[in-house]
Amino acid sequence: MKKLSEIFKKDLDTTTESSSRRDFFKKTAAYSVGAVAAANVLSPISLKADDNAIVGEAEWGTKLGIAVDKNLYGMPSPYEHNNTRRVTELLSSGDMYASVSMCPIHESEGIITPNGLFFCRDHGGTATVNPNEYRLMIHGKMKKEIVLTLEDLKRYPSETRIHFIECPANGSTGWRGPQFNNIQFMKGMMSSAQWTGVMLKTVLKDLGIDKDAVWMLAEGSDNAGNPRTIPVEKAMDDAMLVWGQNGEALRPEQGYPVRLLVPGWEGNLNTKWLKRLEFSDKPWHSKEETSKYTLLQKNGKAVQYFWPNEVNSVITSPCPEKPWTNLKKGDLVEVQGLAWSGHGTIKHVDISLDGGDNWIEASLKGLVLPKSWTRFSYIMKWDGNPLLLSSRATDDVNNTQPTIDQETSAIGVESVYHRNAIVTWEINKKGETNNVHIRKHNA
Amino acid sequence: MYILENTMLKNTLITLSLSASLLILSGCTDKEKKVEVKDTTEIARAVDGGVLYSTKDGKYTAYNVNTQNIDTSSFGRTPTKGELAAWNIDIMPDGTGLPEFDTKHGQVIIENGKPKVAQGNAGYGNELYDKQCSMCHGDFGAGGKGYPTLSGGDINSLTNQLQNPADPKPTMEPPVRRIGSYWPYASTLFWYIQDAMPFPHPKSLSNSDTYAITAYLLMENEVTVGGEDIDEDFVLSKANFGSIEMPNKDGFYPQVDTPNDPAQGVRNVTKYLSNNKNYGAGVRCMTNCIDGKVPVLHIGNELGGITPEPTIKKDLPPEENAGPTHPGKKAYESSCAVCHGTDAMGAPEVGNSEAWKEKLEKGIEKVYHNAINGINGMPPRGGTSFDDTKMKEIIDYMIESSK
Repeated sequence: MKKLSEIFKKDLDTTTESSSRRDFFKKTAAYSVGAVAAANVLSPISLKADDNAIVGEAEWGTKLGIAVDKNLYGMPSPYEHNNTRRVTELLSSGDMYASVSMCPIHESEGIITPNGLFFCRDHGGTATVNPNEYRLMIHGKMKKEIVLTLEDLKRYPSETRIHFIECPANGSTGWRGPQFNNIQFMKGMMSSAQWTGVMLKTVLKDLGIDKDAVWMLAEGSDNAGNPRTIPVEKAMDDAMLVWGQNGEALRPEQGYPVRLLVPGWEGNLNTKWLKRLEFSDKPWHSKEETSKYTLLQKNGKAVQYFWPNEVNSVITSPCPEKPWTNLKKGDLVEVQGLAWSGHGTIKHVDISLDGGDNWIEASLKGLVLPKSWTRFSYIMKWDGNPLLLSSRATDDVNNTQPTIDQETSAIGVESVYHRNAIVTWEINKKGETNNVHIRKHNA
Repeated sequence: MYILENTMLKNTLITLSLSASLLILSGCTDKEKKVEVKDTTEIARAVDGGVLYSTKDGKYTAYNVNTQNIDTSSFGRTPTKGELAAWNIDIMPDGTGLPEFDTKHGQVIIENGKPKVAQGNAGYGNELYDKQCSMCHGDFGAGGKGYPTLSGGDINSLTNQLQNPADPKPTMEPPVRRIGSYWPYASTLFWYIQDAMPFPHPKSLSNSDTYAITAYLLMENEVTVGGEDIDEDFVLSKANFGSIEMPNKDGFYPQVDTPNDPAQGVRNVTKYLSNNKNYGAGVRCMTNCIDGKVPVLHIGNELGGITPEPTIKKDLPPEENAGPTHPGKKAYESSCAVCHGTDAMGAPEVGNSEAWKEKLEKGIEKVYHNAINGINGMPPRGGTSFDDTKMKEIIDYMIESSK
């Protein structure tokens, strides 16, 4: 690894970051010209014949397309059928009703997941709720208990926010070592959308919640109900009752017609098919906050009520599904990925090429919003040598992603949930990209 | 320092303090110094220990907000007592919400002129369990069918850390988290069974049935009540529920049950979450961060079994064989596939021609009869309310799909 870290240090050793970047781009500009020339020499098609994709008449350009009235609700190109959610029995509880479908985050563009690709965790199948019979009951320790229909709810002023939802078990197969060799199953238990609904505090402000009622129960109307306890402080901060997802009604898999949105917190708390909010001076200790969603520690005790998904990041390109096998030595390439934090807003993302020995700050791209996916980018030239490519995010509460050893030395390997350690891809000489762990271990 | 309300101002100050507090830590070799960047700005903390953002001048972080005052006090209506009783069925560890009587649609059931007391013994719970639960959770809650195992835990195993590769001598035994060894409260068990079980047709058990099954599972988990072991004759009801002694009731923190000051419980969680050293704090080391060789651990046994096969190929999907749909298909998928989709539960598996040949030896009418009246682990009509015609359609579909 010594040699790699020295290669990488060439950028880091210059006196300031800005001059380092200037040098870096000067170098990459020179290299990329070389890469184009190399491609012309090496590509047999470009030398021997005209490209048939240009000179041949494309089939779709020489006949009528599909009539406009045929796909009144549009679907992706049939050529994109492999961009889909995926499942495995390993992450199911007996069958595909209590199971999870994983989001193809390697094919994700920007910071929004298309509705059909949003990961879905059900505890008893996806409920099909009749919106005309939808009722939301808000009751308990308060002056005025109410029942709202969907129409009532939509009369409140709405807001639209971009937030990710992540299951806290995302990445949980990595506690003891790397196991999956694809990003979809390592980190695909999350997605992001632009949600529309009413701030929960707007609905609650007229109801006179008792001062000592510091806990709220949220329950769904599906067969599992999935009741969970949430502190009223969160309800009065940024929680929402949402009915819109990326400009259309919530999908059934996301709780049509109404789900609770608890920005940045465990996906399980974002109750789908929401039917009831109850207020109390005591927490409930439901099944999903005792037997599950608790973090067993080395001393045999478990942490309960661990709400936020901590600061996290992963490089989505390259990744095992999107390796660099098509790159040639000297090619310019954009390393990019997603960073997110349930505690706040992404402030820095650092990239390492040597497994975490040396780091350089990457650029953030596009919108940088609280409790939202944030894109990061680092443009480099690949010299064809093996790399250990890692990303490490820091949020505005100044939490930085831990190394695997930092995390396991704090909480062991039996927590199941809330694993946010640094992810590393090993890129070999062929450009193949594999999931590896940088951690102390017995040979 | 002071707490900053304005996000833009705060960000500016954080940047300034960051450049002013670039720390070079000693303690490494002379040649290679570890370089870490630290930001010590104080931040207004939200309940989860994260940043508390506020709305100011019509802006919440990057979002514009309509801050007009509105009156929504006329929205909605008051729920009736019956509606509250029907939906407010949650149970708390102190027994709040435990039903005293059997009810239906929020109304107490009257039997012989009196309210029917909700209670059940472990022996009856055993009978119900064998009929409605064992096909998924195994005999005695022993699992083995792919669904959660409900018994056989060991509280002493909770300190086990299975195969942490950093340990010189990794433990080979996992912690066994079951009802008796891990769950802190029996109220959770009753509530979950009543609300979400049996899996294919939840909310079908009476309160008395739920007490009986709860008593049975506590017996299988060797949980005591008032210092006594539970036997088949033990009757569980609201009256003695509070005497159940769950072994791991003190196994969880931060403490959230603070009856004298409810808000203290919330503050305890905030305090825990506000210190990331509790759960793995990273540092922004920039240079020479790893002492010695970079320890790379590769995948040992790769996990697979992924559907559809992972690929990013851009091609056309295989042609689908779109014939007419069998009338029994939809009902089979929603109500029967849970048990008949695999052979794990002893039910004849759809797609397994041998299993169905065996069932058909005594004729199709016998198969219809068994499905409608129940056989072995299968309750009458599989626990559904399908009529005979629908049941026969479903069976025809299952048989045709298994040829």
